[in-house]
Amino acid sequence: MTATPATQAPSRPMTLWRLEWLRMTRTKRWIAPVAVYTLFGLLGPVTERYLSELLTGLGGVEVVLPDPTPAGGFTQYVSNVSQLGVLAVVVIAASSLAVDQPPEMGVFLRTRVRSAVQLVMPRVGTVFAVAAAAWIIGALAAWYETTILLGGVSATAVAVGTAYGTIYLGFVVALVAAVAAFGRATMTTVLTSVAVLIALPVISLIPVVERWVPSELVGALDGVVAGAPLDGPLPAAVTATVAAAALITLAVRRVGTRDT
Amino acid sequence: MSPAGLVVTTRGLDKQYGETAALSGVDAAIPAGATYGLVGPNGAGKSTLLGILAGLRAPTGGTVTVETPPERVAYLPDTPRWDPWLTAFEVVDLSRALTAPALSADRVATALGIAGLAEHAHRRNGGFSRGMLQRLGIAATLVSEPDLVLLDEPSSALDPVGRREVLDLITSMRGTATVVFSSHVLADVQEICNHIGILHRGRLIAQGPIAELLAGRAASATLVSLEGPEDARVVEAHLSSQPWVLAVRTAGSTVTLTAEDSGVVRRALPAALAAVGVPVVSMAPVEVTLEHVFLELTQ
Repeated sequence: MTATPATQAPSRPMTLWRLEWLRMTRTKRWIAPVAVYTLFGLLGPVTERYLSELLTGLGGVEVVLPDPTPAGGFTQYVSNVSQLGVLAVVVIAASSLAVDQPPEMGVFLRTRVRSAVQLVMPRVGTVFAVAAAAWIIGALAAWYETTILLGGVSATAVAVGTAYGTIYLGFVVALVAAVAAFGRATMTTVLTSVAVLIALPVISLIPVVERWVPSELVGALDGVVAGAPLDGPLPAAVTATVAAAALITLAVRRVGTRDT
Repeated sequence: MSPAGLVVTTRGLDKQYGETAALSGVDAAIPAGATYGLVGPNGAGKSTLLGILAGLRAPTGGTVTVETPPERVAYLPDTPRWDPWLTAFEVVDLSRALTAPALSADRVATALGIAGLAEHAHRRNGGFSRGMLQRLGIAATLVSEPDLVLLDEPSSALDPVGRREVLDLITSMRGTATVVFSSHVLADVQEICNHIGILHRGRLIAQGPIAELLAGRAASATLVSLEGPEDARVVEAHLSSQPWVLAVRTAGSTVTLTAEDSGVVRRALPAALAAVGVPVVSMAPVEVTLEHVFLELTQ
């Protein structure tokens, strides 16, 4: 291996976007969400197809379950991944979006940027890109396995459902960005964000607002694959998009005004 | 707008942390091109003042005028640290890209070379020593060729070799930038600064050219050596009664006297000693240090 001489500049100059890309790749934190979504994407349809046999084999008692369906393959994927996958996204988002961690790095960046937007947007964008990629890879894996094991499903439904899930993850990343802008410890950011995400389904118990709560997007993929109207989750998608924009704005303002 | 020739001016600057006043009525005036030493004990408010000048903290009251555009100001905290997976080159290149994108990447290698880190340019900074991190911080500061450099205790906690390297690097900035350098190591400040401000319990109790502060304060201290303690006590008693003497202190066979005016000492002291009639071994001005001035002002 030949060492790069000091006078030889690396081919790609540093930018704040490249900084975030390096953060994601060198710390290997991208692996967690991609692994979780891919694993459940592959296992969900398998579980749907063979769950009855698995339970019978384990317990020695015949278990009668509804016949496996292609939509059930996606239901397994979504139900399994909606907690662990989102948790993985929250954790990598919380560790990446803490602008002042370590504090000296925050000082280094804060004294060199003209606006807090420069600090927040590359972090939000990179984390969202990784989260969305992980979710889409998982959905494609689930689609492939479902087609092989359970039969075909509507490509349009898969695409629209996946898009709704992507919007939800954008909302999650924006939420973590806002929470991280107020706290300093990563663990506090994770716990607060998770608490908010857990509270959202409770809000959706109110019939009037149910359709508009972003957490309705969690089950959008298996819903539309199972035949629900494609525009059913649209109100929740609108809320999630508007809320994400508001949360990012809040994060930028907070990061810009906070004493270090 | 600052008065002519000043890069930084503060008027009645206050900073409160809850009930604690970190800064109180600070009127700082930092001339363009100066190497300005901000001295004071730990907790005096040095880091707070530098943080306000760097835009990292908002003052509670008063005004701050920094004539230098923000992108031409560089700030180095006392313990610089970066994400450990960044190489030295990447740290300095990021600094260049954010503050002086028009400068070429060659400037990064130059800055690393000045800081003595050329051969470590492509190593990750997570394995750097404290001194190397400090030098990396200075490289990241120098790379954009700033007009105003704010350095918060850059030589603290370094070993003698690291301290010397950092002081030499700061000295090398003379003539190219206004440097504000905080430290509680008074010898360092006296060595490299031409202006100082003394902070004590959040108040700026003195500031100005270092030569003027030294000359105007304890410059007229004089050490008289005698043949024995008895002679020293006789001289002390006589000098204490002289109207031009501010203070007399005896230690063994020596007497140290302080007066308002060193010229008066040179004219009146020989006559006063002759009047006492004791043999004088030697008589010389005491070398005045910033430490003398600092102690005089703060005690």
